[in-house]
Amino acid sequence: MVGGILSFFVQYAAYALEVGVVAVMVWRGQWKRHVGLFVYVALLVVIDALARPLFLYRYGLTSPQYFYVYWLTNTLLQLAAFLLICFFFRVACRAQKKLWETLKLALPATFLLVVGFTFLSIWRNYSQMRTREFLTSFEQYLYFTCLVLNTILFVMIQYVELDDEVMPMVICGLGLQFAGPAAGMALMVLAGASVQGVAFLIDQLCSLGMLLTWLYAVNRVPGTRAVVYKPEGVVAERAAA
Amino acid sequence: MIVASMILVISVALLLFYVQAACQKILARQFDEAYFQSIVDANRLEFPFVRKALEEFDTPVDYPWVCMTLQCDYLALTYLLKNAANAKQRYTREERLLILYFRALFFSLFALHLFKLSERPAILKLTQVLQHFADVVGQRVNQVRFGDLNASDYLLTL
Repeated sequence: MVGGILSFFVQYAAYALEVGVVAVMVWRGQWKRHVGLFVYVALLVVIDALARPLFLYRYGLTSPQYFYVYWLTNTLLQLAAFLLICFFFRVACRAQKKLWETLKLALPATFLLVVGFTFLSIWRNYSQMRTREFLTSFEQYLYFTCLVLNTILFVMIQYVELDDEVMPMVICGLGLQFAGPAAGMALMVLAGASVQGVAFLIDQLCSLGMLLTWLYAVNRVPGTRAVVYKPEGVVAERAAA
Repeated sequence: MIVASMILVISVALLLFYVQAACQKILARQFDEAYFQSIVDANRLEFPFVRKALEEFDTPVDYPWVCMTLQCDYLALTYLLKNAANAKQRYTREERLLILYFRALFFSLFALHLFKLSERPAILKLTQVLQHFADVVGQRVNQVRFGDLNASDYLLTL
């Protein structure tokens, strides 16, 4: 009961934050500067805050229609997040032409591999999609793949000069979005249906964490150069990653 | 089973890593000037001395003194964050997150001391959080004018 109420509040807080992030980006004119992020959050609003509740209202929570819409759109959002990470790799490599020459072959190949794996898995197991085993295993691998790629990107931007101060916080948020559900799904694979409620709550809380991080990034990050105060009061600046 | 266990462990570790990274990005926020200095002077906070002792003099960590000092400064600064030049009289989202981060670091300091590992990085991170709190309070107080009162005088009236 308490878990259900908490889940309800977290879900609607997430909807509000999704709309909030879009609104702030439009209001501050940041949607032009961070097109990839804006498109992803707009897609999130359309799918999570509009389409899913419509299907839920129309068909009901336990209906197969709502089930398929929810999990297929979930996969779509994960693939969109994967594309967003590729977009950030492009931004991070603007000054690193040599690195980009390597990545521009590796990233599309990885993306096609992930899309191919996703499509084949769903196509071959469509009738079994409603089994917990397939779904949790599939989601676990997809989230983990995105998490690993995001972490590689995060490590890379520590060594690259970036003009964009919002990007590191956005990547942190993406990391939260992938790490929590990957852990939750892995827990379900290990412990079974008994931890399903916990796994879904972790998923929702991590989504909320991601959105709060993004709201902070687009709203509050003016300049994040690390400032070191020397004892004599002289300020030395060190560029933050 | 093994793969799922590995994914679970790595994902949890990366989750904690990203939470810490987000906190460090918030702490990296730039201020126009060293607002924290007036707050330190007005309230006789000691965390700069703790940092100075570790960074400049590289003295061995006096665990009881460091713990008490940082805890006292934390209580003072969290009170000021809520009450000094704060019309809403409540913490912002970032402050709540940093308060949790401070408590987690404090617990990790205890664990490091228990297992006799190096406490220096944790202490320096704690002082970084406290300095951020002091900068936020100092910036807020600096933006408010109370006649001829300066920041130190204003804080003494609280």
